[in-house]
Amino acid sequence: MKLSGYRKKSPWILHYNAGSCNGCDIEILACLCPKYDVERFGLINTGNPKQSDILLITGPVTKRSRERLVEIYAQMPEPKVVIACGSCASTGGVFRPMYNIEGGVDQVIPVDVYVPGCACRPEQIIDGVVTALGILEQKTKEIEKSHILHVAPLEEDGQVNRRHMAGTIKK
Amino acid sequence: MNQLVLVLFILPLLVSPLLLVLPRKARTFATVTTVSILSLISVYLYFRADETISIMLPGIVNTIIAGADVILLLYFGYIAIQRKSLLVGIMSVLQLGGVLFLLTKMPHHEANQILVDKLSLFMFLLINIVSGVIAAFAIEYIEEENCSEYRKRFFLSVIMWFIGVMNLIVSADNLEYFFLFFELTTLASYLLISFRKDEESVHNALTALWMNQIGGIAILGAIFMAVFTPGYGEITFSSLIAKAPTVGVLLPFALLAVAALIKGAQMPFSKWLLGAMVAPTPVSALLHSSTMVKIAPFVILRISPAIHNTMLAQVIIGLTAFVFLVAAISALAQDTFKRILAFSTISLLGLMCLMAAIGSEVAVVAALLLIIFHGLSKCMLFLNAGIIERIFHWKKASDMDKLGEVGPFTSLIVAVGFMSLLLPPFGAFVGKWFSLETIGAGLGNSQVAGALVISAIAIGGAVMSLLYFKVMGLIIARSGEKDKVQFESMPILFSSSMYILLALIFAGIISLPFMMGGFFAPVASDVTGLAVNVQWSKLTMMIGEAQLPIIPLFLAFLFLPLTMIIAMFVRFKGADRAKEYMCGEKVEYRLSSFYFNTEKVTPYFIAIGIIFFIGIVTVAII
Amino acid sequence: MNSIIICTIIVILAPFIGGLVYGIERKVKARMQHRVGPPILQPFYDFMKLVDKRAMIVHSAHAFLGIMHFIALWFAVAVLIFGGDFILVIYLHLMATALLIIAGYSTRSVFSHLGSNRLAISALAYEPVLILIAISVYLTTGSFEISSIFSMSTPLIAKMPLAFVALLLILPIKLKKSPFDVAEAHQEITGGAEIEYSGIFFEFLYTAKWLDYVFCYVLVYLFAANNVWLGLGLVAATFLYINALDNSTARVDYKQMLKFSMYVALPIAFINLLLTILK
Repeated sequence: MKLSGYRKKSPWILHYNAGSCNGCDIEILACLCPKYDVERFGLINTGNPKQSDILLITGPVTKRSRERLVEIYAQMPEPKVVIACGSCASTGGVFRPMYNIEGGVDQVIPVDVYVPGCACRPEQIIDGVVTALGILEQKTKEIEKSHILHVAPLEEDGQVNRRHMAGTIKK
Repeated sequence: MNQLVLVLFILPLLVSPLLLVLPRKARTFATVTTVSILSLISVYLYFRADETISIMLPGIVNTIIAGADVILLLYFGYIAIQRKSLLVGIMSVLQLGGVLFLLTKMPHHEANQILVDKLSLFMFLLINIVSGVIAAFAIEYIEEENCSEYRKRFFLSVIMWFIGVMNLIVSADNLEYFFLFFELTTLASYLLISFRKDEESVHNALTALWMNQIGGIAILGAIFMAVFTPGYGEITFSSLIAKAPTVGVLLPFALLAVAALIKGAQMPFSKWLLGAMVAPTPVSALLHSSTMVKIAPFVILRISPAIHNTMLAQVIIGLTAFVFLVAAISALAQDTFKRILAFSTISLLGLMCLMAAIGSEVAVVAALLLIIFHGLSKCMLFLNAGIIERIFHWKKASDMDKLGEVGPFTSLIVAVGFMSLLLPPFGAFVGKWFSLETIGAGLGNSQVAGALVISAIAIGGAVMSLLYFKVMGLIIARSGEKDKVQFESMPILFSSSMYILLALIFAGIISLPFMMGGFFAPVASDVTGLAVNVQWSKLTMMIGEAQLPIIPLFLAFLFLPLTMIIAMFVRFKGADRAKEYMCGEKVEYRLSSFYFNTEKVTPYFIAIGIIFFIGIVTVAII
Repeated sequence: MNSIIICTIIVILAPFIGGLVYGIERKVKARMQHRVGPPILQPFYDFMKLVDKRAMIVHSAHAFLGIMHFIALWFAVAVLIFGGDFILVIYLHLMATALLIIAGYSTRSVFSHLGSNRLAISALAYEPVLILIAISVYLTTGSFEISSIFSMSTPLIAKMPLAFVALLLILPIKLKKSPFDVAEAHQEITGGAEIEYSGIFFEFLYTAKWLDYVFCYVLVYLFAANNVWLGLGLVAATFLYINALDNSTARVDYKQMLKFSMYVALPIAFINLLLTILK
């Protein structure tokens, strides 16, 4: 019996708003409502990184939210996938040149699926999630590190300590 | 046998003045040896003494006792003048008048003044072992107290003397003797509570004094009634109880019950026990666990054959059920660790007295179980409060949210202590279980009252568990950095007393099924005068008519404290360590808990308590 | 002998039955909202997925207490199904809850502490009512043994309907369903005491939730224990009632919950006790 097959059947989602204008957030909520009803795929919006498989990020990464994003990312157990939801999350969008913006999510943590659109439509989000599930099935249980803001997890006494992975900014 | 019993009385009283003069090393040695000897004697007596030991004292002792009475009351009068306390003064004058009057009128019978039955032996066990641990603990504790060398010695000396008096009071059969010892415990509590000599201590000590003096007056009233009611005549517990069914006058017993309930700090009189918190912690431990307050269930157990199934017993049941509930609720409003413990003591004392007042075989067994296990657990918790005070310098529960990290051993002991009070096979659970069994079977003609009592017990128990969870929640929190537990180091007298109590508690649980037949049942049958049958069928134990699936019960509940301890040492090596979820934020925070505000309703609680107390006396007169 | 085998099978299968109930519940709730809803076996898919995750804990004591919570709860369910002492069952369940509460308290996690505080308050809200019901049952059947309910001639619900009403009022608290889901409150404190668990360690809590379903619905079944079909009907009706309530109400805060339990559910249970005594 291959357990990895079941990853596809119960994707639990953590939704993180890194600095969005709320347009994409509303569309994500629309996915959960009766019209699109993503729960029929077994999907739950958990709101808790420790129990979720998919990190759904909306909005460009602001300097304030950067550390939080990495912290939450480090708290998700592998295997996990990251979906950048909307133009801003993918590239920074219209906010890209602003003083307080780092850019797209992929500047901070590795992203698996980009969902374009301003705001992205629920159909697109569902399509992105389905694509992400395909990737999730292939993933291993290796710890993936964020691009900046990380300290390697400590290994001692046979245990991995990832408590301070979202540490300081790497120059 | 008789000599051994006398050793129990005389040894602490002899060692007590010695402690005033000995240097530190010798003092430690003397205390530890004395309490060990006392404990051994009490264990030996319990398992060897088959029949009631009665000791006839020479006539001169009667005179000495009478003289001591007068001197003691004069000393109380002196305290009243010295501290300018009107209440204490009035009480002293009233008592002195009563004593002098009774001394002239009292008929002198050749009676056995000292009567050591199974119940007394049972109390010896509790008093000597638990107080012994406390006395040893106090040596270390008092060293760091900010006071003169003489005061430190004085403190230890009073504790030792207190143990002797407690041994005497549980074996006094003559009410006149009982009165003196009762007043002596009052004096001991006054001296210990006012030990720190600041304004608050003295004030609280005076409160304790006058409240307990009301108890003394009640005993004098009981003696008066016993002497002047035709039919009673002799003023010993044994003859009063034997003659009660034929004479039918319950007033002496009602007054004795009032005295006992005051000692047990039941509702309107709960103030003195709460005020006792200002004293050094070993005092609180001593007053709460093994001595002083345990006089209440003891006396009620003594008189329970006489008041069993009467209206008087029902009023006492009502009062104690009420106190059980209300004290538990009041505890939820407290933040000081010792005050929380104090309220829970009052509450559980209510339950013990309730069980004793019901007086059926099962209820008496429950009361005995509660007395001994509550003594052990509370002693452990209070000594821990002392350790927290001395080593970590915390007094409030809300300050203790780092205790799980800096003092994991202390935090573990507190958690196990609370668990042992909260859940079976002891503590509130047994009481609830047994009372449900007995009250459920029918309270005779007062069924509505029975339903109310059951509800009070059910709610009170639930409130109590909430309370313990609340406090425990603050003290066991650890962050992920402290995965590997390293116990803190503490002075040997501190840690050894903890280990002894912990071992006693666990030994108690493990041997409970065997002790039920061999240990508790004989005492209960001696108290009730009925045969208490303990039988086994499959996994069920039958006590009288009640059925208890005791083996699954005790297996299941050994589980809980054990789980707490094992959890300290388990290590999952394969798993990653992650940070606590805080929405990704990095902020400093403190943990706190919730509080219920009971200030508004407290006056009503007290008023209801007073009504119950008046009820006890009126019912007996009718 | 036959009944013992049946009981053993039920006890062993209890988590699976609970999982099925949970799956059906998610489906029914979705249908009530005009959604399609997940497949009925969805909880088991979740189960398999959680096994596959990389293990991650806050500290070992915390993880261990979660596992013990599951074991203790299974034990409580076993004693209930084997027809043990009613009060004992209630306290075993309380003990299982106690382990979860302590687990929540044992980390320095804010949400976990909030969840445990609320769990303790909910325990205060439902425990006295259950005890009063247990005593009423004792007065009716003459024994604290649950198995004695099965040998009665008339169903328990006919003898004490008020007790059943009280039970219906506290079941949402026990099952953490809206309007009394303060202890879990996913949108507010993201799961409460269970928040710090993940992967295989969360598994135990997830399965414990299924066991809770079994526990509660067996309690309901007891009210018509002598007639299998009536009992199952009662369970089905209760199931629909709880889900309809969950879908149609908003969450109240913990004070309102406590007040509701103390002023409504408890008096009903008390009146029931009085009626049973006076009968």
